[in-house]
Amino acid sequence: MTTRARFLPPWLMTGARFILGLALAAMLWEAAVLLLGIRPHILPRLSTILSAIAATPGAYWSGFLRTLAETLIGFAAGGIVGVLNGVLFFRAPALRDLLFPIFVVSQTIPVIAFGALVVLWFGNTMLAKAVIAFYLTFFPVTVNTLLGLQSVDPRHTALLRSFGASGRQQLLRLQLPMALPQIFVALRLAASLSLVGAIVGEWFGDTTGLGVLLLQAMYNENVVGLWAAILCAAVLGTGFYGLVALAERRILFWGAEQ
Amino acid sequence: MTLPPSAATPLLELQGISKTFGSVQAVRDLSLSVEEGEFVTVVGPSGCGKSTLFNMVAGLDEPDPGGILRFKGRGCHAHELLGRVSFMPQRDLLLPWRNVVDNAILANEIEGANRAEARAKALRMLPEFGLTGFEKQYPHQLSGGMRQRVALMRTFLFERDLMLLDEPFGALDALTRTLMQRWLLDVWQRHRRTILFITHDVDEAIFLGDRVLVMSARPGHVKHARRVDLPRPRAAELVTSPEFTALKREILEAIEEESMKSFVASNGAVAA
Repeated sequence: MTTRARFLPPWLMTGARFILGLALAAMLWEAAVLLLGIRPHILPRLSTILSAIAATPGAYWSGFLRTLAETLIGFAAGGIVGVLNGVLFFRAPALRDLLFPIFVVSQTIPVIAFGALVVLWFGNTMLAKAVIAFYLTFFPVTVNTLLGLQSVDPRHTALLRSFGASGRQQLLRLQLPMALPQIFVALRLAASLSLVGAIVGEWFGDTTGLGVLLLQAMYNENVVGLWAAILCAAVLGTGFYGLVALAERRILFWGAEQ
Repeated sequence: MTLPPSAATPLLELQGISKTFGSVQAVRDLSLSVEEGEFVTVVGPSGCGKSTLFNMVAGLDEPDPGGILRFKGRGCHAHELLGRVSFMPQRDLLLPWRNVVDNAILANEIEGANRAEARAKALRMLPEFGLTGFEKQYPHQLSGGMRQRVALMRTFLFERDLMLLDEPFGALDALTRTLMQRWLLDVWQRHRRTILFITHDVDEAIFLGDRVLVMSARPGHVKHARRVDLPRPRAAELVTSPEFTALKREILEAIEEESMKSFVASNGAVAA
């Protein structure tokens, strides 16, 4: 055990454990369906689902890419606008008091209702889906950016002021980096939410995407197809969340110190 | 070797300065002056307004109207001192995402200095601050004493006429503290900066200072000013010498009186 640990770097060990866990879950799934005699329209065997994907990989792949693109655009726009909003509200409290209630009200509109509106406004375009993903992501990022900026130790701010730092220098050299841990909490949340937004957006009508595959499978009572689409969405969601978490670990190397 | 009484204008001069926060008067009618090249220490009971004094001299807080604040002989507002004195607060306040060198040059970077030149200068200063080989380390990898030295290096690299040190060794253990005091004197002797140094440790105040100012209980003002005529360079044995002890007795008496006042005042507040 010790010799193996010495030869394998920690990230490889983590990766190996993750794959082992996945393999175990897959085996359990397969065995449970077989041994307990679960009927296929309740839960098909994993191997059936995987072979369904392997039979028409093109449909799933293009759906995956399309939904990925919508998710990424919505996430990026939500992240950027969220951080900018947070900075704006931090620097201009009067503006915050004016706009924040409107933001909160906007978030109480159910995404389904909002989705219908967006499709009316933007039509059946990729932009419409990205806008719905954006709508779900910008608010948590705004709130957390603001919280992070407000939680900066005033003694730190005083130190930079004593050096003669301008407001811009304080923001870039102190406040934004200090707020990064809070911002990343919101970005991880936004990674999952933007995928939800993209899929819901596709339900309002489109021809490609994982949401479309889900809907088609549902209408055709194609249980295997439904599960295949779910599996693809899970891979997309987990992968994206994992990437954001990895970026967080890399960027916030100093940990939760101070 | 004591400083000759200088006929020139003092570097920093405060006259009749007061500062009120809401209903609390932290500082009242405070007057002091610091000569060029002088090492002045300020002691006082806790909560006597020492930090208020420092925040005003650093330019962070504006004193109440009425007093006089002069820097280099010219009257000015406190905020005009922002960026003109080099301020070191109690905690090291290093930025966790910057390594030792980049933390040390933070103030230089803010004033727009060339980053490569500032880094080179910081690298040359590392041995003097006992940080050789640690330039690439991050604050979370350093001990408390080392972090404090990085903060001091940041203060020294920000070359200003006046350095404000607010209990820089307050958080260190006793042994590290005495080592750091001797080291600071050593560095000061070579760079000859003007230093205003806050502490609550009387030994530290006498050992380091050309002059010790004792502050009164709140509202704070300078109650007692004492020139320290002990020879420099000062060695560790100095603290057990009769001259040192006599000075210490005198200053302790002045402080104790004030500590009793603030103790009674705070107890009275509890009773009321």
